[in-house]
Amino acid sequence: MALIAARRGVRVLAVEVDAKGDLPEALGHPAVGFQPVVVQRNLSVLALHPEDSFQEYLAIFFKVPRFTRLTPLAGVFDFVATGVPGPRDMLMVGKIAHEERRREGDGEPIWDLIVVDATSSGQILPQLTAARSMRRLLRGGMLRSQVDFVDAMVTNHRKTALCICALPEEMPVAEALELHDEVVRDTDIGLGPCFLNRGLAPLSAPRQRRLVELLADPATARAAAPVLGEGVDRLVAGVRFADDLSHLAQPFARRLSTRMSVPVVAVPLVAARSGLATTRAVAAALEAAG
Amino acid sequence: MRRASEELAREVRPKRLADLLGGLDVVICCGSGGVGKTTVSAALAAAIASTADRRVMVLTIDPARRLASALGMTGIGADPVTVSAARLRQAGLPLRGELVAAMLDQKSVWDRMVERYAPNRHVAERILDNRFYQGISDAFVGSHEYAAMEALYELHEEGEYDCLVVDTPPSRSALDFLEAPERISDFVGARLLSWLAHPSRSGFHAMNFAAAPLLHIADRLLGGEVLGELGDFVGDLQTLYEGVQRRARAVSRLLRSPRIGFVIVTTLEPAAFAEAEHFATKLRELSMPLRAVVVNRVLPGFLADEAAVRAADVLADDHHGAQALSRAIGAPVDAAAAVALGRSYRLFFELAQREARQLARLGRIADVPAVQVPLITAPVSALEGLVQVAGAL
Repeated sequence: MALIAARRGVRVLAVEVDAKGDLPEALGHPAVGFQPVVVQRNLSVLALHPEDSFQEYLAIFFKVPRFTRLTPLAGVFDFVATGVPGPRDMLMVGKIAHEERRREGDGEPIWDLIVVDATSSGQILPQLTAARSMRRLLRGGMLRSQVDFVDAMVTNHRKTALCICALPEEMPVAEALELHDEVVRDTDIGLGPCFLNRGLAPLSAPRQRRLVELLADPATARAAAPVLGEGVDRLVAGVRFADDLSHLAQPFARRLSTRMSVPVVAVPLVAARSGLATTRAVAAALEAAG
Repeated sequence: MRRASEELAREVRPKRLADLLGGLDVVICCGSGGVGKTTVSAALAAAIASTADRRVMVLTIDPARRLASALGMTGIGADPVTVSAARLRQAGLPLRGELVAAMLDQKSVWDRMVERYAPNRHVAERILDNRFYQGISDAFVGSHEYAAMEALYELHEEGEYDCLVVDTPPSRSALDFLEAPERISDFVGARLLSWLAHPSRSGFHAMNFAAAPLLHIADRLLGGEVLGELGDFVGDLQTLYEGVQRRARAVSRLLRSPRIGFVIVTTLEPAAFAEAEHFATKLRELSMPLRAVVVNRVLPGFLADEAAVRAADVLADDHHGAQALSRAIGAPVDAAAAVALGRSYRLFFELAQREARQLARLGRIADVPAVQVPLITAPVSALEGLVQVAGAL
């Protein structure tokens, strides 16, 4: 999504939440740090680290200089940023809110779109609702208004959308639907389209099926050997395997489409080399799907 | 290619994983998201209960509720539920022992921890009623890991189960889980926070001088009222310190004991595989015993066949493939159908090739047994699928 938007001239910031390095790698760049790094035209990436986020926060709002890990007070910051669950989540979401609010000198936003590669579906809601949870704890102070701002950004449907991604398998679909239901029932967060990844087209045309049956016949395979060589039996096994996988996935894909209150976009399985090649192939497939 | 991976599988699999791990008190399954960790955990627990007369519990710590789905059940709560032996037998896995499943209830684990370590009932109630405590124990991501570690230790100490198989959250969170003993100990021992809240009480005058700017920040951030309330809460929390410290040390020892084993679950997808390598390194650094690697959803060898892909490429050639084949077999061949078949095989050939390259790197993860679980394509129920995976373990 980030790549497609950037190609269309949108200034995109892609954010990696768990700092594994997968997102920059998918965009053809080595691992990045806390500061945005341009990885493609119109496309920058940053990796979220709660300690860095806290240091930046203190520097912006309190003019506190960066502490090195050797100073005694660095322990306090490290503890607050990573040791206490609530502030850690808030610092992650707060950094995204900060980037959303950043402006150029002329008042134009620095980013037109921020795409976040978020945490897993079992953990995303506590993170997105961290600001609301903190609102219940804070009555006053500067933090209260900042928490209000973050919560307002997360729950503003014109600004933020949660896109659920799933695979066409039993458990990922069950989990995606569970998350969808929780979001709709328990939060004010808006949902964007759902992405069903690694879809496979079945051998739908009768002519395709007839050809498989034809090649599965040993006599035909022998006759075809001068043209196709000796691998016809394994070719047939492979094609049938792919067809079985596709049929196995169909009920789960249908269940997802039927139950979701948002459009489900199918993303086909691609086998390009990992990294930018895969991302380009997925982007091309998404663009082809409209 | 196929022969090479089969030989590798034989080399690294001296005996069934269930036999290898079944004698342990605790088996912790870790890995990145979407690799089938919950299914493998449940299948491993079932495989252990099928090979020995042991009482096995599979405990899920992952807040996503996949375990019930993997076991073909409608729901699993904090109370242990016995998985029906009759249903497992029907699905093809007779048990010699017993299989029980449970899901972590973090709130009650936190509450029990407070009740156990508070100096008296009055302090315990004050903490339990505190809104900061309620926020921490209910709402936030990291608190789950703290509770999980405590629950695991409790279950192990109670000794009601011969073997605990633990399904952890995706690996970055699982690392939090492993470091939880130190974190929880830091948390309740956060003297610095208490000192920020009540500097005059703490008596660290020299540090107070350095802390003045921080006090100012905390006051502006939170407001004086909240800061005072937070200070009272941290003060109460510190009464738990000694007990929690003791417990954290015991948990830390348990995680490094010979009675425990870690199993990394991965697929051969590049990102998941890299994550498995990272996790193995972390376990080594933390001196925690990695016992095995389970490679899940391995594609069959016939997909990586060179002769077959040559045939596929002929079919995918939309100008000549279908015509040449038609002439050879003396029957009409639809060109579009031939191209579709050729491309379908080519796609999986490339995936299987990528998997073969990853398999060759398997030894880099760690020098432990590795088991390959094939990708299941038969339309089976969740429980039948689980039994098939158990069969591979």
